[in-house]
Amino acid sequence: MTERAILRSAILIFWTLFWGLSVVDKVIPDVQFLWVGKDFFALFIKFFASLGLKDPLFATFALAGVSGLEAINFALYLTALLSLRKGVEALTDAWFFRAILSSVVLFSLFSIADQVFGDRFQLLEHGLFWLVLIASWIAFKQTPSDESSPVSWSPTSAGRRVLIAGGILTALTAGSIWNFSEATFAKASEPVTGEEVVEGVYKFDFPFLADKRVWEATVNTFMADHPGLKVRYIYTGPSELNTKKKTHLLLYVFTEAQ
Amino acid sequence: MSKRLSTSVLIRYAILAYWTLFWLFNLIDKVVGGAHFLWVGRDRFAQFQKYFDSVGLDSPHVANAALAFAGALEAFAFVCFATALGAEWKGHHGSARRWSFFGTLLTLGTFTFFSIGDHWFGDRFELLEHTLFWFISLASWLIFIRMKPGGNGTIAASSTTPASAPEMRFGMTGAIAAILVAVTATAIFRHNASDFPLRTAAVEAEAVGDHLYKVAFPFLGGSTVFENTLAEFKTAHPEEAIQHIYTVPNPLRLKKADALVFYIITEDKP
Repeated sequence: MTERAILRSAILIFWTLFWGLSVVDKVIPDVQFLWVGKDFFALFIKFFASLGLKDPLFATFALAGVSGLEAINFALYLTALLSLRKGVEALTDAWFFRAILSSVVLFSLFSIADQVFGDRFQLLEHGLFWLVLIASWIAFKQTPSDESSPVSWSPTSAGRRVLIAGGILTALTAGSIWNFSEATFAKASEPVTGEEVVEGVYKFDFPFLADKRVWEATVNTFMADHPGLKVRYIYTGPSELNTKKKTHLLLYVFTEAQ
Repeated sequence: MSKRLSTSVLIRYAILAYWTLFWLFNLIDKVVGGAHFLWVGRDRFAQFQKYFDSVGLDSPHVANAALAFAGALEAFAFVCFATALGAEWKGHHGSARRWSFFGTLLTLGTFTFFSIGDHWFGDRFELLEHTLFWFISLASWLIFIRMKPGGNGTIAASSTTPASAPEMRFGMTGAIAAILVAVTATAIFRHNASDFPLRTAAVEAEAVGDHLYKVAFPFLGGSTVFENTLAEFKTAHPEEAIQHIYTVPNPLRLKKADALVFYIITEDKP
């Protein structure tokens, strides 16, 4: 094996998986067991509705067209990957180039749509993907030649040291992850305790693991613990109230005596 | 005779040092877990747990296993880059290339693994982030191998320049930089002296209508300011009860000039 062959495989595997999973995401609609993905149908419907084209046929045709192009992309990358496995370099280059060209065209279409629909963030996202695709092609072509890049897999003393150090760090990390998980997993379901910060106003500092079930448990527990109080109003603290990345969600419950 | 540093060597060090530190701190983040004094990091367990829960796999062991696998890739990537950095330091450039290649391969593998997850869990922003890192890793390795250790470029001045000219240029650059540092630092300390109390001080609610009050937060304001503001408001308006708080959404704010703005809607106490 050479650095060239390994890197080329890494590039092709990444893009084959990228387009393969994009196609899977289009085939599986909505949120299912074992798959969330992104609801592109809802996104397209909203985009077209914003133009005044409320008939779902527009969004359906557009999404079908995009999915078709993605499927073609996937097939092109897969063919390039299979050609690489067979060691036919000229064929690999040809198929990878076709795949890159097809992907670049797709991202160009996305970028046009982003401008029409006024979504500048998606325009940046698609522009970056477009650039990474072209740069991937250049990187693919710039991988070192076979003669200059043989990779030795033979064990060396440095190799043994890397394996031992990596193994120790992996064990340490895994142990820490399991400990942290055991210590905090209960927060995914247990109610949060409120703190009265102003007379009749209680603050709840939700942990990162909390979701809507924790919210329900918290409100129910609070009402059970304070039978003399009536919840008047619940205020979700906007992100500006959070301590940057340390606070997940702040909730304020305004109460009055029954 | 001044020692000349090769620009190629410096770039090679910069690349290896960057990736070594990148993976070291990722690893520390996994080992530390949660927010502590002097370390916040990111709660990856909560992130992974929510991702897997969203696809119906709510057992913490699934999230733990995925996180431990990512941790293993990161640990080996760190050790490979650290070994490459050590080899480069000792002048063993062939060995440095070999270990940086393995480090890059593990980096590409890690970001490919994360990208699969991003598709699966529908997180398109993270997909962009991981694709960019994937490419940066690939590009940095290609740059690394093209920076030959014996490259001609140096960061010393050209030998054709008169000896006194570079010293004068250094002196002038240093003087301008020192003045700018002094001006900037003074401005920052003055801003701190005048504005830091805003981090906790209550904000006065301005009456803008019947039973309607506006509170415009300073940029430093957080939950303490919010709570102090509410306490002061209740003291100042004992005859009124807060009926609702309306947070002004971003589209209604003056771009970046407005921090948090909210309205307090009240009613008379019975």
